[in-house]
Amino acid sequence: MTLAAGIGYVLLALGPSLTLFVTVISTKPFLILTLLSSTLVWLISLIVLSGVWRVFLPLKTTAWWPYAILILTSIAFQEGLRLVLWRGYKKLEDMLDAFADRVAKPRLYLTDKMQIALAGGLGHGLAHAVFFCLSLLTPSFGPATFYVDKCSYAPFFLISAIISLAFVTIHTFSMVIAFNGYAEGNKSDQMIVPFLHLIAGTLTLVNLVSGGCIVGIPLLYMVAFSTLAYCGKMVWRRLTENQIRLTHQNQ
Amino acid sequence: MDGSILESIGVEIIGVMSPVSICMLLVVLIVYSLTSFSSTSGEPIRTAANLVYLEAPTDSTSEKIEGSLLNALVFVILIAAVTFLLVLLYYYNFTNFLKNYMRFSAFFVLGVMGGSIFISIIRQFSIPIDAITCLILLFNFTVVGVLSIFAEGIPIPILLRQVYMVLLGIIVAAWFTNLPEWTTWTLLVALALYDLVAVLAPGGPLKILVELASSRDDELPALVYEARPTVSRNTRGSSFGLLVGGVSSDSVEVEMTRHNATGARNGDSDELMDNRDEAEETSPLVPTLRDRIRSSSSGGSEFSMGQTEIIENEEDLSPLAAILGMGNDRETQSRSRGIDEETTRGIKLGLGDFVFYSVLVGRAAMYDLMTVYACYLAIISGLGCTLILLSVFRQALPALPISIALGIMFYFLTRVLMEPFVVGTSTNLMMF
Repeated sequence: MTLAAGIGYVLLALGPSLTLFVTVISTKPFLILTLLSSTLVWLISLIVLSGVWRVFLPLKTTAWWPYAILILTSIAFQEGLRLVLWRGYKKLEDMLDAFADRVAKPRLYLTDKMQIALAGGLGHGLAHAVFFCLSLLTPSFGPATFYVDKCSYAPFFLISAIISLAFVTIHTFSMVIAFNGYAEGNKSDQMIVPFLHLIAGTLTLVNLVSGGCIVGIPLLYMVAFSTLAYCGKMVWRRLTENQIRLTHQNQ
Repeated sequence: MDGSILESIGVEIIGVMSPVSICMLLVVLIVYSLTSFSSTSGEPIRTAANLVYLEAPTDSTSEKIEGSLLNALVFVILIAAVTFLLVLLYYYNFTNFLKNYMRFSAFFVLGVMGGSIFISIIRQFSIPIDAITCLILLFNFTVVGVLSIFAEGIPIPILLRQVYMVLLGIIVAAWFTNLPEWTTWTLLVALALYDLVAVLAPGGPLKILVELASSRDDELPALVYEARPTVSRNTRGSSFGLLVGGVSSDSVEVEMTRHNATGARNGDSDELMDNRDEAEETSPLVPTLRDRIRSSSSGGSEFSMGQTEIIENEEDLSPLAAILGMGNDRETQSRSRGIDEETTRGIKLGLGDFVFYSVLVGRAAMYDLMTVYACYLAIISGLGCTLILLSVFRQALPALPISIALGIMFYFLTRVLMEPFVVGTSTNLMMF
């Protein structure tokens, strides 16, 4: 029974990403490599952050501000990292194009670029889910479960799986938005990504209040859905524009 | 639709990474499901890897370090000796002896070590199966495995062979995870260093072996995983190349004597299993590139991602024809596939790499899941780095050092730094 519950938590947190992985990523080896390296980058960022914060942990106070600082610095660091990733990706794209020219294959299509961004984002999301949710799931396979005082409506594992799902969605699609924004030089796309990440991060602070998760998690899901909607709208716009441009060229 | 290049880049890397991942995953599962079982029985095992010193939890740290260093030293010396012996035998053309020895050891690993793992799995999950059926199944499993590993003249599907290679890796790795903690770490470090020396140093046994094999146009007498994509994807003239890899093995003598001290468990008290088995090879990713790897590096030197896998060159079947005497299965493979299709020989990865990667991950699994993920990522990225280096240096490379170094580093970083941080934040339900 607990085994079933454990598997259920895993699938709850990772089900959508698993679907994405199987349908989009796994057919193209290069995307798998992108995914793995982006996961590694996220892991390294987490290690660096925890190295910095190790001195102050565990926080004994019940005040909320140390946590707020922790979240703010982490988000700032990761958004900085996204810029670095974008630089790297830019180089990679040039190389891939040069390589495609050499083997007389078509250059990267727009959808290819988006898929690379998606793989990168999914890597971040997966790493998040793996380290913040999955790695804590080991006890859930055992004979008992665990409740947190602040949010005693559901087992801790269930709550963390639900929160992870929201964050996986946000990470995955904000990478697509960000890369597109950088490529187009679109300021609003560029700015909305750190903004969304920041809001999502600060919303988890609500969980510190006793019973706050009842409010915090729906709000978090609103952020996740708006990320999804924004990304969908943007991709749709890009694709239709691209289509129009292509048909113009053909005429 | 003319596929984008995303589909063709990285095929070979994934071809190596996926079996390694499968191997690690299964070892972690085995470790997870069997730790409760073995920890209760708590039998100390003595193998070649801890000949000198048997770690006890009560020993002081310095004792443990000293003892484990000695263990690692003895183990590496043993491996080196056996490898030299193998090279010597190969040099004097005792190929048949070597092959039969490999078969025997594969039989032993699959039958005895695999059998005992199956038995513990059956016990753990209380699978209802009678002894006779189990024996017959095990025997069939073993015989097919032995045949598929060195098939001469029998067209064994490459997939079956790959499956058995991975299985061998899993079985040996699952045994190695029984080693005590300190010994495991020093052993891994020592083997990574040994691997580095044996493959790269002039006069290193593996280097000699690989050179010998490539000068004879022969297959290495070793347990080697071949990642061989079935057909080259590029249908237009330029073929993907024959990245000829050879990984040598040195079979390691692992003597596993299992004293079932408390053994009253299932009535098999004082069971003394003296498994003299060979194990695996610590081996390197040793591709000897016989053919020219042409990587017109217009993209600059950093373009290794693309070039690692895509190697253009002519197809070259002539060396294959030269080894008729060997009854090489590779030849039958290429024949059955049709000569005009380009055969692609994949990257080869020694079984020892599988084993020791999995040992690392399995050891990490005994601590926590978090360390497992971190070690997995580190090992895979190390493997990726090695493959990239492979395309740069174009010679046999050891696959252990980078991966093991990264893996151990990430293990301790995760354990010391990351875990308190992650547990601290996420039990407060804070994430970012």
